[in-house]
Amino acid sequence: MTCETARQQLVLFVYGELSFDEEELVEKHLESCTECQIERVRLEAMNAMLDPGEAEIPAGLLARCRRDLAAKVQEERSAPRKRIALANIWRNWVVAPPMWLRPIGAVAMLAIGFFAARLVPSDSPVLSHMGASNENAPMVSRVRYVDPDESGRVRVMFDETHQREVSGDVKDANIRRLLLAAAADPGDPGLRVESIDILKRQCSDDEVRRALLNALRGDPNAGVRLKALEGLKAYAQDPETRKVLAQVLLSDENPGVRTQAIDLLVQNKEPEVAGVLQELLRREDNSYVRSRSQKALTEMRASVGTF
Amino acid sequence: MARTAESTSRMDEAALIRAAQAGDQDAFEHLVRNYDQNVLRLAMNLLRSPEDAYDVYQEAFLRVYRNLQSFRFDCSFHTWLYRIVTNLCLDHLRKKKVRKTESTIMETEDGPLDRLDSVPEQRAHGDPQRSLLSRELRGKIEEALTGMTARERMVFEMRHYQGMRLRAIGEALGTTEEAAKNCLFRATQKMRSALGEFV
Repeated sequence: MTCETARQQLVLFVYGELSFDEEELVEKHLESCTECQIERVRLEAMNAMLDPGEAEIPAGLLARCRRDLAAKVQEERSAPRKRIALANIWRNWVVAPPMWLRPIGAVAMLAIGFFAARLVPSDSPVLSHMGASNENAPMVSRVRYVDPDESGRVRVMFDETHQREVSGDVKDANIRRLLLAAAADPGDPGLRVESIDILKRQCSDDEVRRALLNALRGDPNAGVRLKALEGLKAYAQDPETRKVLAQVLLSDENPGVRTQAIDLLVQNKEPEVAGVLQELLRREDNSYVRSRSQKALTEMRASVGTF
Repeated sequence: MARTAESTSRMDEAALIRAAQAGDQDAFEHLVRNYDQNVLRLAMNLLRSPEDAYDVYQEAFLRVYRNLQSFRFDCSFHTWLYRIVTNLCLDHLRKKKVRKTESTIMETEDGPLDRLDSVPEQRAHGDPQRSLLSRELRGKIEEALTGMTARERMVFEMRHYQGMRLRAIGEALGTTEEAAKNCLFRATQKMRSALGEFV
């Protein structure tokens, strides 16, 4: 399978839409091609990034839809009978009313118009409903439960959200604090990728570097881990970073991440690195990662095996 | 075991449909509640407007109510319902498509206003995490979605957000699984190229 064919199939692969045989062919290709593995990770990261883009159903909309549908269905059910009854009323009392009723009707219409105009207050809910909105109404993100009691009152428990926007330089402590919180947000991998992408330019800050190391060590999303690796490139000599890179190299499930970790670790050709690479070779299944390790060991003039 | 549960649930649904066809109001309501959250979510995702989603919901289930007598079990109820819903959504999307070519900047009485600024307000009822998404990323996603044809967008939303299989999507849209695959591929390519710098 060529890379071009594999890339076309990857879109369906990540959605689990390939046949068993097609999936086998793609899997086989991925085992030997890191570029396509990275492409797969990127596609998965993109899909994860789109998840928060799903529209949330506003609280109350489903209830309104159900209530109004029930009313419309009820109307449809009674429509034939009601139409006949209305037609009779219209014909007998409006189109051709009895002669004696005509003057009374005219006076009644005038009176209704006069009193209606005087009696309906200008701030009546009927009139104000169209344009006014209740500024004090809470912004409801989710109704948790509703609890009606016998008197007809209802207790509603809901989450209320307050939205705020801040802007500023990434060096600003407040902005950085928010970005660090977003980089650790467990529910949104897209947000984590994006936050780490911004934070990685501030890697000289200890707290930022720690956040990147945490992401590299423990983030469940490979796209986020790759982004953290990018940020740590300039710190490949830092002892703490090297320690985490060695752990990642031996434990990360993603071959793309392991390959990138090798590239960073071998920048400093110390004996401990040779030991880690030899250990990796002992347990590594992926042929591409194995060949990268062997190449690095050869360049370091170290043995490719442990004895 | 799963198959048994599935066929039992299909039998239950068939019984519900027959009862609703015979005029049982509760059965119809039950049928609606089995599907209405997904229908509303699909309409919200596609149309990005609670009012449009409300219209699609009302019209779709009223059509189901009016035409239930003519449902002859030639296909699954799910497929039949989604045919109605997707047709309504496609109509709305085609009407909205005119806006695609417009600038995001609108002139208002208070001066120029960027349409994208209204996106968080529309979604503010939802998860507060969403409000943290950068404006740039949101803009790119919106741009990619409006750059898709109505059918591409429909397939993308049904596969990505509704988790429907491509075969079921093809059936709902009255096309083949292969055509649905091609739509999904093109839609993903468009999204991929729009979000290139983020992934």
